[in-house]
Amino acid sequence: MSEVQPQVIERTPDAGVWVDEHGDYLFKYAMFRLRDATAAEDAVQETFLAAIKAYANFEGRGSERTWLVGILKHKITDHFRKSIREAPIGETADEDGPDHSEFFAIQDSWEGHWNPNYAPTEWHSTPEELVEQSDFWKVFNDCLSPLPARTASAFTFREVDGLSSEEICELLSISVNNLWVILHRARLHLRNCLEVNWFKRQ
Amino acid sequence: MGFYEKTKLKIRRFLLRRLPACRETVPLISESMERPLSLRKQITVKVHLLICSWCQWYMEHLHILRDTLRAQPAEPPETNFASTPGLSQAAKDRLKQRLTNLK
Repeated sequence: MSEVQPQVIERTPDAGVWVDEHGDYLFKYAMFRLRDATAAEDAVQETFLAAIKAYANFEGRGSERTWLVGILKHKITDHFRKSIREAPIGETADEDGPDHSEFFAIQDSWEGHWNPNYAPTEWHSTPEELVEQSDFWKVFNDCLSPLPARTASAFTFREVDGLSSEEICELLSISVNNLWVILHRARLHLRNCLEVNWFKRQ
Repeated sequence: MGFYEKTKLKIRRFLLRRLPACRETVPLISESMERPLSLRKQITVKVHLLICSWCQWYMEHLHILRDTLRAQPAEPPETNFASTPGLSQAAKDRLKQRLTNLK
């Protein structure tokens, strides 16, 4: 196939301007995912370096920042791959997160059913409404942060990035059964935390 | 509450106490977000959901949560990270320094 050669434009981005314009944003994004300032700073640096090299490929479709976020996401995934290789999580892995057994009744004939203090109630919001509410994201971040790092990462990879179970198991070097336990605990915790701190206050 | 409602409630409670408990059903609901359930598990969940509105909400909430999180734009607004501290000036200078050196 012969195509019209795109005109090669020599563009050399000014890294200093990038740091001022996007550094803060990218760092916050990385912190949310990596929870470690050194790792987040490294990921931002890697992102800028990759962006400088690949700048000719940036076709100006969408915003520069969206493009940078796309690169950063890859760097975050790389970080997980690398850290698993360097320090594989053994059997004495950090805990999977609270099992929240208190959510279910333990006495009388209702044993094993929802404890009325923690039982789900109706939520009066749709995803379309929620996604627009910046306060909701603040509450979500606050609910996610008490979870162990691996649990929070597994949940984010699954529900935010939409990665498959297989991809997450490979990234975090865990078995699929382990992943399901982790995701179940994360959901149990987050659903309750969001209900208490967001939906009941609306 | 009329006789009919009372009887209905009694039947629901009777069934709920004899079926697998919510504690056993909730992990299956989570599993159903990951892969299609085996027929046996599907039936367990479906029968449970028929009489348990708590677990009905639970399942609905997991879907609301997933749909909300995946609807987040590729470049989430900065206000979504309001509780996260930003880069310090020292860190910015450090980054600029390294980027100029490594380029």
